[in-house]
Amino acid sequence: MNPDRIVDLALSDLRGALLEVNAPAALEGALAARFRRQHRAARPSLWWMPPLALLATAAVVSWMIRGPHTSPNVQAVPATLEADAGPFLALKPLDRIALEPGTTVVTSEFPRALLADWGLPVAPDRAGEPVRAETLYSAEGEALAIRLVN
Amino acid sequence: MPPANLEPELALLARMKRGDEAAFVALYRRHKDAVYRFALLYSGSPAVAADVTQDTFVHFMGHPNGYDPTRGAIGAWLCGIARNLARKHFQHREDATDPAQLHDDALLDESQVEAHTPLDRVLRDEAAEAVRAAVAALAPHYRDVLVLCELSELSYAEAAQVCGIDIGTVRSRLHRARAQLATRLAGYHAAGGKEAALS
Repeated sequence: MNPDRIVDLALSDLRGALLEVNAPAALEGALAARFRRQHRAARPSLWWMPPLALLATAAVVSWMIRGPHTSPNVQAVPATLEADAGPFLALKPLDRIALEPGTTVVTSEFPRALLADWGLPVAPDRAGEPVRAETLYSAEGEALAIRLVN
Repeated sequence: MPPANLEPELALLARMKRGDEAAFVALYRRHKDAVYRFALLYSGSPAVAADVTQDTFVHFMGHPNGYDPTRGAIGAWLCGIARNLARKHFQHREDATDPAQLHDDALLDESQVEAHTPLDRVLRDEAAEAVRAAVAALAPHYRDVLVLCELSELSYAEAAQVCGIDIGTVRSRLHRARAQLATRLAGYHAAGGKEAALS
């Protein structure tokens, strides 16, 4: 037989027999565990993140409480309520409004469409008109009640 | 630019570099048997082949940036790592077979062939085992190219890369390896037994 043919057949036999040979199954688990350990060790430690987040939160809250605040461009007229205004419409529960310390009534003018934000009816054809209103604010600046001023 | 068929493996490699264990396992499953078979042919010992396979993938997970896609497939690169590790394992056996110190037709001294390995029967098929033993008896510089090109399905260029030689040398060594193997196998067939191939 041709020597090349002998070698081809022999190598073909060997290739076929090798297909039945596989790497030991135990290797995969060992290598995967090693990979996991290696990458866990390489990952940077993040122990400092929670304390840093706590400090940052404290700093922001402190600034919000004690820092300078710009006043909104409105006119506060607590002592001179409009005589011809109607009753206030509560935007928050009455018992809560009654307990609020340091409330302020602010007179301002704004587009009528904003009344919809408080759940008040707004005619679409008048949405763009300015409306004058007195708003009762809490000490924290939350709108508690509102009444329209003619 | 790597060939298009490398793209899925390169995507897995990129994920593996970011610590994705599933990507590493996927690459391992693709190449484990080829690396193990290569190491088995190289060493003639299942135990050594298992060690070499493990060490190859340990190296892989530790040095994924060592792979250069422009120089061949990941499988070829892994075979190169396995070859280097196996050579270290058998350095005492293969020091004397530096190609520069050998004539082209040199055969490996029998004292250097698997003499120090726990060689039991590696393959169940008797004829295939005789061929494996005949391949193992070739001088390393011939055996390497034969195993890489004929049994591990590497291209000549990849085999050249693994062995650190040029493609022309791969061709000539492969030609001589096949001639030597034919001589050994002819003896095996004439005597009708494994012993003849190994003698």
